[in-house]
Amino acid sequence: MTSAAEFTGVTQSYGDTVAVDNLNLQIEQGKLTTLLGPSGCGKTTTLRMLAGYITPSAGTITINGADATRLPPEKRNLGMVFQSYALFPHMTVAENVGFGLKLRKVPAAQRRDVVMHNLDLVGLAHLADRKPKALSGGQQQRVALARAIAISPSLLLLDEPLSNLDARLRVQMRSEIRRIQGETGLTVVLVTHDQEEALEMSDTMVVMRAGKVMQTGAPATVFSTPANRFVADFLGYENFLTQSDGGLITVRPEHLRVTSADRTPQQPGLTVSAVVTDSVHRGVDHIVTLTTTDATGAAVTLVSTTRRDTLSTDDLGLHPGDTVVAQARDHEIVRLTPEK
Amino acid sequence: MRGRPILGSLAVLGYIIMIVPILFVVSTAFTAGDALTFPPQGLSLRWFGEALAYQPFVGALLSSLQLAVVSTLLALLLGVPVTLAIQRGKIPGKSLVEGLFLSPLVVPELVVGLALYQQIMIGLHQTSFVALLVGHTVLLLPYAVRVTGASLALADPAIEEAARGLGASPLRTFFSVTLPLLRPGIFSAGLLSFVTSFNNVPLSLLLQSRQFRTLPVTMLDYVQQSYDPMIAAMSTLILAGTVVIAVVAEKTLGFAKIFGGINK
Amino acid sequence: MTRKPALLLIPGLVFILFGFAVPSAIMLLAPPSTDTADVFARLGAMLTDPYDLAIIWRTVRIGLIVTVACVVLGFPIAYLLARSTSRFAGMWLALAIFPLLLSNVVRTFGWLVILGSQGAFGQLLVVLGITDQPPQLLYTELAIVLGLIQLFLPLAVISCYSAVAQVDAGLDHAARGLGATKSQTLWQIVIPLSRPGILIAGTLVFAGATTAYTTPYLLGGSSQRMLSTQLFSYASVSVDWAAASATALIMTLLVFMVSGLSSLISRKAGVTS
Repeated sequence: MTSAAEFTGVTQSYGDTVAVDNLNLQIEQGKLTTLLGPSGCGKTTTLRMLAGYITPSAGTITINGADATRLPPEKRNLGMVFQSYALFPHMTVAENVGFGLKLRKVPAAQRRDVVMHNLDLVGLAHLADRKPKALSGGQQQRVALARAIAISPSLLLLDEPLSNLDARLRVQMRSEIRRIQGETGLTVVLVTHDQEEALEMSDTMVVMRAGKVMQTGAPATVFSTPANRFVADFLGYENFLTQSDGGLITVRPEHLRVTSADRTPQQPGLTVSAVVTDSVHRGVDHIVTLTTTDATGAAVTLVSTTRRDTLSTDDLGLHPGDTVVAQARDHEIVRLTPEK
Repeated sequence: MRGRPILGSLAVLGYIIMIVPILFVVSTAFTAGDALTFPPQGLSLRWFGEALAYQPFVGALLSSLQLAVVSTLLALLLGVPVTLAIQRGKIPGKSLVEGLFLSPLVVPELVVGLALYQQIMIGLHQTSFVALLVGHTVLLLPYAVRVTGASLALADPAIEEAARGLGASPLRTFFSVTLPLLRPGIFSAGLLSFVTSFNNVPLSLLLQSRQFRTLPVTMLDYVQQSYDPMIAAMSTLILAGTVVIAVVAEKTLGFAKIFGGINK
Repeated sequence: MTRKPALLLIPGLVFILFGFAVPSAIMLLAPPSTDTADVFARLGAMLTDPYDLAIIWRTVRIGLIVTVACVVLGFPIAYLLARSTSRFAGMWLALAIFPLLLSNVVRTFGWLVILGSQGAFGQLLVVLGITDQPPQLLYTELAIVLGLIQLFLPLAVISCYSAVAQVDAGLDHAARGLGATKSQTLWQIVIPLSRPGILIAGTLVFAGATTAYTTPYLLGGSSQRMLSTQLFSYASVSVDWAAASATALIMTLLVFMVSGLSSLISRKAGVTS
């Protein structure tokens, strides 16, 4: 792949705390890469090092092949959208978007064209002469986006851009950002703690924890085959069972099927005996909670989720205390590697 | 004051103590008579004319204005960079540095005045204006640092980072983004400083000379020698001027912002 | 620019060190044509001489009376205004704060009119038949106290106001709903939560009242000396530098002790001011 940016052996520490630990990462040109993880995992630090606001304690960062490790932010020509949007309150929307162009001495007429083009891109051309405080949160965010794109950056960096928006707007903006990325072909690096966002928007997902990368890959791959327990947990997996050989496996609730003990079909894959603790409806789903013991003898909670309209009348007759069998097919079982 | 008699009476008493003396000054200024009595004998503007024509008052007024303007500018010129350094820079012992710049508020003015009198006027043979300038600027620095600091602290630091990311050098960022953000704070600090300098007595008393006296000092001197309505008239004129300034400031800024910086 | 904060700091730092910190230290400890030993000798003498001790005690006494009065009068004003729903509340607040923009001479001068032998208050007493002769209230400790209360009440109001304004009015409603009377709500909820602001008010007022010059000078005359007027006398009239420095040391120490005490109290109470 062509790298738009690369981290080699990058470490960032503040005193005793290590925010980023020996990071090796390549950002592919023309794609949307997400840095995903809980707060404190180092994703924002990584982004800010890429932008130049933090200098790494060790390692190198290259942007478009050139070493940028110690380059100040104003020389990197990257577009960054901050979580708080950081719009200049004393300038109009048009002036905000045109600020970078003015610094690059783009003549006024051409500047106006580029500004309007970018405001069109985000659908806010009609608000060009307003001041930021007259705009809603969603509109401010789009202005911040237009401002970052207007300078034709080599990379677009987004720091939790959707976390300050309400739920509906968030969903809307996910596809907006994807659309803009597609139209402009920009390389985008996006930081988020929301796994749904990452799964929907990324070409590549980078899951981070405590300053290290846990797994990298396309969303579909990462989702269906999480590398370790942390990633699986973060992506909403349940049903972690330690096998007799010491290995850890997991199965998605949607793949775990529950049948009464005497009617179990024989099949390769996972078969465990369990006791029902709860059986409820939740909207269109039927959720059964079970308890069983794994190979180490530890008690494990299992969750099975089924669409109600696919259930047979027998399945609906489960009660707490019933002994049942939980099954999953071979290809539905994910083997997890122990974390380093 | 919905039915809280004790609190209400205490509040009323407080307001009486604060406002009534000033009312007395204003009312006696309008007297037509020759002496300072209450109630005033007749109503006239005669003493206002006398006050405005009294040379020592006029001269002192100009001196006060001159001193106030120059020391305010100096305090801002020195203080605003300090605020920037404290708020945005990485300095070891930040709170100690800030404490140092706020310390003139704690040390008694007379101490500072005496110190400057001894060392600058006597020791370095400087004029009283120089000593007064130094003294007033020192007194105003806490306002320049604190009040502008308050308005900078309210601003999102990411805004300056955004400007840098878009390609602005640190200097460019300061002029295009930081300074406009600071404007209300600078204005408030300037106003507070001007008023503080103009009204100052202890420092100005110790550091005065025959060539340079401020208005409050001249008025103080006058009160000891003569007790007539002219001083009341001069006070009323100052009061009127201050009201005008306050109203103008309120229209442009709002009182809340101006006094937000006073609390230590 | 923020990468080199030193450049920004240096002019201001130099100025405050050499225009304020160093000169003040010199003045307090080693004034011209005097040894530091002399200053401390004089200081020791002052702390044992009855005349000087009387001045110190008067200063502290007046300071305490004024502080208590300002808090007792200022807090109700602040509380009523902070909880008021009237649209005139802002105006009343401005009225209380506005006098801070005036010179102390202008503010104190009014008392001369009121308390003088021809003064209004005296005339009022005669008119009401309380006394035959208007009493001489000027140049008394009472006059100084009144003048200082007038001077520092606005500061107390500002401090208490910002403290009360930060106490959620919803807490008042909650307390009342649980059965507390207005008075209980005030004493058990609002005042404890406003304590930091009240403490600041007290510290500011005490520091100001014990170091004020103009008001004690105008209203106290030469019989009611406070540390500040005494200091001025040593400096300008008798030109006794050792005595001036010693007095200044006492004043500065007094203010520092009170500030220190108040931050100690607020830290112990676990409240950050």
